[in-house]
Amino acid sequence: MNVNGESISGEVEDRMLLVEFLREHLRLTGTHVGCDTSQCGACVVHVNGVSVKSCTTLAVQAEGGDVTTIEGLAINGELHPMQQAFKDNHGLQCGFCTPGMVMSAIDIVNRNGSDVDEATVRKELEGNICRCTGYHNIVKAVHAGAKNMGG
Amino acid sequence: MAENGVGASVRRKEDYRFLTGKGSYTDDLNVVGQTHAYFVRSPHAHATINSIDTAAAAAADGVVAVLTGDDLAADGIGPLICGVNVTSDDGEPHRAPVHSALAQGKVNYVGDHVAVVIAETLAEAKDAAEKVEVDYGILPAVTDTATAADDDQQQIHEVAPNNQCYNWPFGDKAAVDAAFESAHKVSSLDLVNNRMVTNPMEPRAAAGEYNSGTEEITLHLTTQNPHVHRLVMSAFNQLAPEHKLRVVGPDVGGGFGVKIFRVLRRVGCRLGLP
Repeated sequence: MNVNGESISGEVEDRMLLVEFLREHLRLTGTHVGCDTSQCGACVVHVNGVSVKSCTTLAVQAEGGDVTTIEGLAINGELHPMQQAFKDNHGLQCGFCTPGMVMSAIDIVNRNGSDVDEATVRKELEGNICRCTGYHNIVKAVHAGAKNMGG
Repeated sequence: MAENGVGASVRRKEDYRFLTGKGSYTDDLNVVGQTHAYFVRSPHAHATINSIDTAAAAAADGVVAVLTGDDLAADGIGPLICGVNVTSDDGEPHRAPVHSALAQGKVNYVGDHVAVVIAETLAEAKDAAEKVEVDYGILPAVTDTATAADDDQQQIHEVAPNNQCYNWPFGDKAAVDAAFESAHKVSSLDLVNNRMVTNPMEPRAAAGEYNSGTEEITLHLTTQNPHVHRLVMSAFNQLAPEHKLRVVGPDVGGGFGVKIFRVLRRVGCRLGLP
């Protein structure tokens, strides 16, 4: 598979999860495991441009695919517009849910456009849980990021 | 608000690493030669433990050790202490049953820890945990706080009659009674409190290293208070003298108070050496 633009190959057990492959084999520990049951969204990555929960995706399901993790967003140290928006709007505190939030947010904008409305953002973030922020600043950040992504 | 100096809004310096996946939470750390712990938990809310057969699990691939509550007791690992003491309105201290890190004799809630399997990999530990055979004698459970203190309810802890830990009243009962007594109209309603759980996004995690040369333990822990953890694990759990025990708190994925308390149950066994 291709991970963050780099071609990767490895032998894995058939039961290995994508998140285990990313974290344990590739040491890309930015993708987190919060609940292990697909509810919290801390493990969201993109496979072929679409957000998936890597804690319930088998590594082999992503075979041959393009995988993007939180580590693959910034280019030469310059934050992706969505990362920058989270920073500017205090869209994070402890940071544990943040990688999944940012990956989901980018997918939301990709699918709904840069003028996505607040109700849609709130509805589509239901698969990502945050315990620190109360969501308000995350929604603000997604809006700001969406505008910036649209140029 | 000022733009510079006192009163100016400042940017958090940790945000860049959190936003780029470069945070360092406890489970992101690896220790050379590490093993992994996986806990066997009770599927019953209340049951006696008649026996635990760990032989098949101990013989499974990659398994380093399988420990039960009796094993911890034999090693002199003390039970979990309660860090907050409450005096009831009758002047008695709160009832504090012995809380072993791994259950001994009886489980008191679903998920109570019964055994821990330590193996070379997490997958091996999980596989072996399924081979731990626990013979439970299922007892009636209490799952309703409204009736938990009734006289005919099942008793969970012997030291806590009517399943009451303590009674901790606030305010001036006489004045409130008098106010109701003289009120023009009194309405009554039942208030039901939701169950409340402090539930940070980052689960409990610990990674320990033991240096057999210096006899020092370094414990990486998702914690809000490493100094208290060190003190308690040293003084009450006999893990190591304080000067031989170093507790490191890396980035913490939320705590909300619960990570002030020590959870020996999840820390003891990920040591570089058993």
